[in-house]
Amino acid sequence: MTARFRLRQALVIARLELARVFLSRRSLWIYGLALLPSALFLVHSIDVRYRLAKARQGGTVAPAVIEAVETGMSEQQVLALAGKPGEDQQRTIRRWTRREEGGREISESREIRSRRMTYFDGRRRAVLWFEDGILRSKNVHEILNFAEDREVYAGVFQYFYLRLAIFFGCLGIFLNLFRGEMMDKTLHFWLLVPARREVLLAGKFLAGWIAATAVFTGGAMLAFAAMLWPHTGAGAEAYWQGPGAMHALRYAAAAAMGCAGYGSLFLAASLWIRNPIIPAAVLLLWEACSGFLPELLQKLSVLYYLQSLCPVPAPIEPDTPALLRLILSPAAPLSPWAAMAGLACFCVLVLWAAAAGVRRIEINYSTD
Amino acid sequence: MSAQEIVFENVSKFYGEVLGVNRIDLRIPPGLTSIVGPNGAGKSTLMNLMCGLIRPDRGEIRVLGISPQEPERLMRITGYATQFDAAPRWATGFDFVASSLLLFGYSPSLAEKLAWRALEQVGLTEAARRKVSSYSKGMRQRVRLAQALAHDPQVLVLDEPLNGLDPVVRAETIALFRQLAAEGRHVLISSHVLQEVDAISDRVVLMANGAIIAEGDIRGVREEIHEHPSQFLIRCAQPARLAALLFERAPVAEVRLLEEDGALLALTRDRRAFTRTLTLLAAGGVPVETVVPADENVHAVYEYLIGGAA
Repeated sequence: MTARFRLRQALVIARLELARVFLSRRSLWIYGLALLPSALFLVHSIDVRYRLAKARQGGTVAPAVIEAVETGMSEQQVLALAGKPGEDQQRTIRRWTRREEGGREISESREIRSRRMTYFDGRRRAVLWFEDGILRSKNVHEILNFAEDREVYAGVFQYFYLRLAIFFGCLGIFLNLFRGEMMDKTLHFWLLVPARREVLLAGKFLAGWIAATAVFTGGAMLAFAAMLWPHTGAGAEAYWQGPGAMHALRYAAAAAMGCAGYGSLFLAASLWIRNPIIPAAVLLLWEACSGFLPELLQKLSVLYYLQSLCPVPAPIEPDTPALLRLILSPAAPLSPWAAMAGLACFCVLVLWAAAAGVRRIEINYSTD
Repeated sequence: MSAQEIVFENVSKFYGEVLGVNRIDLRIPPGLTSIVGPNGAGKSTLMNLMCGLIRPDRGEIRVLGISPQEPERLMRITGYATQFDAAPRWATGFDFVASSLLLFGYSPSLAEKLAWRALEQVGLTEAARRKVSSYSKGMRQRVRLAQALAHDPQVLVLDEPLNGLDPVVRAETIALFRQLAAEGRHVLISSHVLQEVDAISDRVVLMANGAIIAEGDIRGVREEIHEHPSQFLIRCAQPARLAALLFERAPVAEVRLLEEDGALLALTRDRRAFTRTLTLLAAGGVPVETVVPADENVHAVYEYLIGGAA
């Protein structure tokens, strides 16, 4: 048999297996996992667009006007400066205060006339709060914050998508390639064709990788598109013409390489260990702790290479305990090409170990 | 080792502590061979070993000179229909057979042609476009058979192939096995139903508890069992007279007049002398209508060998 023939066989196996992977009932939850960020960003985008449309209905002011408004100004001054507000609500409230007099606590109340005015400059919304005609607070927030959205995307991608969605999705897809067929009592079909076990492994891995990549890269790109959707300004256009396309490509590459890295590990585990849930749990723990490990050990985790591929560093929550921040020492990231090459070498090594496992696999449906 | 035979040499297989087969020495020539034994006798283990689905703990196996650990070569000449369905939920009978042929390297058009031929051989052309998941047990049996023989293998291994078939299809399937065997192929079938393979096999391999307890053609095996006298069922017009003559002239151990009119059962330890005497009696005017060996069948042989476990 020639290498060309074996390659053709692997491709036929992959093609036949793809239909099983995509149409399997076991895959349904994986689609949900992959589409969850897209759904979240879509809901966020719809909400943003609704709020933008609503804010625009009340008219817009120049950004400088919002900057010029300061606490302590009177209603008339603000109205003179900014004009008619987008929203204007007035009411009277009764405020209670307590004070001590001669060792006794005295409660007093008085009526306050409050007024809430909002202005919109096309991007930011300012909520002004007046009490008895004087501006007491000014709350400005961006309805549309491109930098923040990109950072949120980076966080969702690295903390949820790579560490959980792709991890568990690959667990579901790649474990089923052999172990699932053993449980369905259908694995013998593949072992009774004139193909080497290694060719079968290659074909099945290819099918799993194509399916996982299609689902998770597709999911990541959908979420990216949903994140970009409401951003139509010059900033977004500049981003898209500048690093945007490369960012999208790097997220796609990280998702695809994540599928290859975790996929190869789970495939090998399913061939060597009867209950692969235990190694999966160990791997999850290892990946979760990788940031705290010495630099050399960090390079033995799939996540290290995937994070090197991500274009935007994952944000660290401001309320992360100081001790954790102190011991969290991410290794210096590799260049994208080096990360891809490193992960590819890692996959080859793991698949080599899996090949030894597939050669020793036996059909024994009664005990599996 | 012979390149024309399937050879097992001192083969043992254990599933942990459980015995699969033990010290099997067997040579299977071309023709229709049945492996018979009760459930758990080791029939499927023997077939799985032959096709490389499991590996022996000890011993060596060669299928026409090829090791089962060389699937690239072995599965080109071997077709194996196991007891288990392998068709995916969404596949039609045709898809199932044709897709496996693509893995042999056939072009799609040739795979299609071979698939139709195989489906025709098992009488499944009309249902070929239906999903396998909607098939009856017998149809699933037949589609597995079609898949096993679609690439025209020299060795056909069939695990309980007659299970679930209705009488007409069973007869057609048996005729197909006989035809394939007559073409010089190895057709190896397993069964736990003794009667069904008795009439169709060139040779039988009787198994119990993971070991081969007898092999060969039924008559040969029966002749080797000396502890039990051979039984002949004789029909004649004067059974009492014939019984008396047999006692007088033939080496019989026992003669029983049966309740059925005109029938008697004779037991002898010397078959040749008995049949010679019977021939002489018939030639001398004793009205013998039929003589049938009553225990030259798998069931009887099995009963003698292991006490009727099957």
